Amino acid sequence: MTQYETAFLISPNLEEEEIEKVISQMAEVVKKKGKLINEDRWGKKRLAYPIQKFEEAFYVFFLYEADPTIPFELERRFKQTEAILRYLTIKKETKEKVKKKEKDVPKEEESLPASEEIPTKGEDVGGDVEEEAVEKKEEDEEAEADEKEEAVEEEEKVDEEASLPEEKEKEED
Amino acid sequence: MAREQRTERSSFRRYFPPKRKVCRFCQRNVRDIDYKNVDILKRYILERGKISPRRVSGTCSYHQRRLSTAIKRARILALLPFLED
Repeated sequence: MTQYETAFLISPNLEEEEIEKVISQMAEVVKKKGKLINEDRWGKKRLAYPIQKFEEAFYVFFLYEADPTIPFELERRFKQTEAILRYLTIKKETKEKVKKKEKDVPKEEESLPASEEIPTKGEDVGGDVEEEAVEKKEEDEEAEADEKEEAVEEEEKVDEEASLPEEKEKEED
Repeated sequence: MAREQRTERSSFRRYFPPKRKVCRFCQRNVRDIDYKNVDILKRYILERGKISPRRVSGTCSYHQRRLSTAIKRARILALLPFLED
């Protein structure tokens, strides 16, 4: 049994009873052969972009455990029902899979210093210097890397004091 | 000329080393990024609705991958825009 999560948007011009009806119909499909773990309703919410000329829609989320046939059956129903504007079914990841992938994370952290060398657009401190440097960057990179490691070790205090890059970091938030 | 540039840059680097960016998801030990969590996803899209690149946001590659699928899913459900004017 796999966990699935299905989200669908119901057209906003339906009456509340009708919306209720559609949701219970879909819930029944799931309940027949699977287990409905959670039903989440967000109610009418504004869309980020118009779908079929509607500016808002009724959001519903089903979290359920079932055989793979159920999502297909659900989607078939969605296609038949005109009131459904959009739907999306995703497989929830099981814990075992996630554990395997968690091992990747430390590796990623090691590779972080490399990305640090790439200059960012928003860096107003050294705008001019950066631009010139970008062209030369590829050639210099190896030599630069050595220098930099030294620099970082030597002047970690300066790093903390340099307030400008920090401000930039906040702006990105 | 080339030499001057180089010394200029390295000295600049010496006094203002770029701040090391750390993946915010790793910091908080987040494993999954949910596509329904629009508030978090919104921080990682640019004004025009593009996904912010790793070099800007500092996200690690593992979480960047998760983030991009989450954003794409949210776009399908019209939680996030595909593009914004």
